Amino acid sequence: MSEARVINGPHIRAEKTTRAVMMDVAISLVPALLGAIYYFGIRALYLAGLSVAVCVLTEYIWQKLAKKPVTAGDFSAVVTGLLLVFNMPVTVPVWVLVAADVFSILLVKQMFGGLGNNFVNPALMGRLLVMVAWPQAVMEYVVPKTVSVDTVSAATVLGSVKGGNTPEYSYLQMFLGEMPGAMGETSKLLLLVGFGYLCYKGVVNAEAAFTYIATVTVLTFIFGPEGLFTGDILLNLFGGGLIMGGCYMLTDYVFVSRRGKLLYAAIAGVITAAIRIFSVYPEGICFGILTANCMAGMLSLLYKKHVYGIRKIKA
Amino acid sequence: MWKNKKSGFTGGIHPTDGYDKAMTMNLPVREYWPETVTILTQQSFGGKCTLLVKPGDKVIKGSQIGKPEAFMAAPLHASVSGEVLDVKEIRQQNRMVLSCIIKNEGENRREAQKYETEMVSLEAYSKEVILAGIRDGGLTGMGGAGFPTHKKYETDKSIDSLLINGAECEPFLTCDYRLMLEQGYGILNGICLLLKASGARKAYLCIEDNKPEAISSLRRILEAAKQNGETEETKKLEIRELPAKYPQGGERQLIQAVLGREVPQGGLPADVGVIVSNVGTAKAAADMVLGGMPLIQRIVTVTGCVKEPGNYLVPLGTSAKELLALCGGVTVEKNRIIAGGPMTGPCVASDWTGEEELFYVTKNTCGILVLPDSRQEESPCMRCCGCENVCPAGLTPYAIDFAFREEDYDLCESLYASECIACGCCSYTCPAKRELSVSTRMARDMVKQRMRERAVQKA
Repeated sequence: MSEARVINGPHIRAEKTTRAVMMDVAISLVPALLGAIYYFGIRALYLAGLSVAVCVLTEYIWQKLAKKPVTAGDFSAVVTGLLLVFNMPVTVPVWVLVAADVFSILLVKQMFGGLGNNFVNPALMGRLLVMVAWPQAVMEYVVPKTVSVDTVSAATVLGSVKGGNTPEYSYLQMFLGEMPGAMGETSKLLLLVGFGYLCYKGVVNAEAAFTYIATVTVLTFIFGPEGLFTGDILLNLFGGGLIMGGCYMLTDYVFVSRRGKLLYAAIAGVITAAIRIFSVYPEGICFGILTANCMAGMLSLLYKKHVYGIRKIKA
Repeated sequence: MWKNKKSGFTGGIHPTDGYDKAMTMNLPVREYWPETVTILTQQSFGGKCTLLVKPGDKVIKGSQIGKPEAFMAAPLHASVSGEVLDVKEIRQQNRMVLSCIIKNEGENRREAQKYETEMVSLEAYSKEVILAGIRDGGLTGMGGAGFPTHKKYETDKSIDSLLINGAECEPFLTCDYRLMLEQGYGILNGICLLLKASGARKAYLCIEDNKPEAISSLRRILEAAKQNGETEETKKLEIRELPAKYPQGGERQLIQAVLGREVPQGGLPADVGVIVSNVGTAKAAADMVLGGMPLIQRIVTVTGCVKEPGNYLVPLGTSAKELLALCGGVTVEKNRIIAGGPMTGPCVASDWTGEEELFYVTKNTCGILVLPDSRQEESPCMRCCGCENVCPAGLTPYAIDFAFREEDYDLCESLYASECIACGCCSYTCPAKRELSVSTRMARDMVKQRMRERAVQKA
């Protein structure tokens, strides 16, 4: 094969590389990271740095030990590390974060064959681990520094509404990120800025993200807490991690590039909405996307691609 | 990058922004006559000829020196007048081919013929005469695989459309473009001949919209010809502008883009009533039928990392090394020499210093391209499905690549690896720089071989 590789073309290649794509995703997360530092203090930056370092190092050590080609520098571990830390409250204990990082990279990503072979999004799986194993670590959120200088713990907006309270924050505050929540999820504005950058670079599937977010919003509006068509659209949009999940988690290449991507996004949306409406969990994003991740391969089989010159056989 | 007009075929890429063609686009074709030519008896893959001359023989330009032996072969003619110096096996692209070396001693100038400056009447030429003319003239496809042209036109299928391929979608190559600009009459006369030979009701001359000058120049000629008295043929002829996209010039893609038809699996264009020929082939048809000159010359684009790129009209058997020297030599040390375009042409040498012989121009050599060696390591596939989106055949290259590496040929077959057209779009696009095109092509060959074996077993 190596000889055939030298002889046969194409001899020119597109400039786009895996590294560049992953770097773009990492860059697009920078505004949200800055937002996290602004709202939750410098600890957010330390945690992000730690998370990224642990992810990259875990990948590097594993690839060295397993004698596989080292691809730890391709920025995909950086993205996982950033997404994971964005899903945690700023108060998360360091060892919980490290455990989640190692779990995501080692068990979810590398054990299944590394980049492109993971069956679910590693960062979300890491979050799920924390939710199940150390629930208190991710249930306690704090009020942003801009609201209160002291560290005051509080439930997320969606969580407190689920508990029967009325939201204490305005929609604008939610949109800008001035609310308790996971570090990176709170500022919708900054996440959307990053997402805009990804759309401009053409490395993200905006249709799928839109389908997912729209499905969740529409369903939670229709099946509102006080009967049909009483849901709070803006609360569901901006009150939790929907923008983060839709724009960055759902659009993992492994799942969103296949045929049937919109169905995949819609199914993730239906599950997320169902959890928000019927279960005790206020968010549902993690479960919704993870379940859809597992179904993506199957869904793509529903769509047959037309191959040139192959006649459709009528069944 | 945002194209308003959609091109009519599936997938495809926009490989470059046009800098590559700009290198040679505005350079007129120059004639070059080498001192000796080395004519291969196998002008295209599988096109073997028996040599009719021996060392010491005197040949004149245009006399037949090779008789077709294989199905893929066409008659071969001396491209210069002079003495046959030697007949020997020559290494060409990793196989040994019997070749005949002729010393150029003759007169090379040629007056412009009537059919090259005006539209001529074709009433005297019947279908049979034209077919015999292109068969005896040794005409083969000048754009791609070098299939004997008369075999295409002698089909018993009914042909309704003739597509003349002036798309020249391969980056860097400009030989067809220059031909369209400089030999408009020759091409249009040739198309009229091919139209008669095919019996088609309509002929489309297809040119990509990144060659506006060629389009307007040919349109002007056609308009003028129509005003001077419309003939049967010019009435059927239409110039079609197509939005630029690679691989527009692939025969199957061109049919899809222009006529919206798909050639069925395992079939030929004739199965859907179409014949596709290159503009160079049309011009050569006019040369041999109207001008009596068999196929002994062609235009070759020499470009890339050479000092002075250019378009050269050369006799068959001209050495690539000589042409590169004529262009001032290569300018990068770590290079790759490619016979043809960068997407589909094979690499014939890497890190070439200018010393050893490379290859000799055959009937289907479109260009000699020198590129800097920029090999990249493969990295893991991240399932972005970019390859799937650009594949003109509608395949899933990454899945075929995995199946092929696992030697799961059944899976390759069910993924329709046999339908790969080897255009290279998948490898071009892949951000992980995987050699998808190489493995898909190998999977295709493997699947096709298995299909043949099964057919033999059944019989």
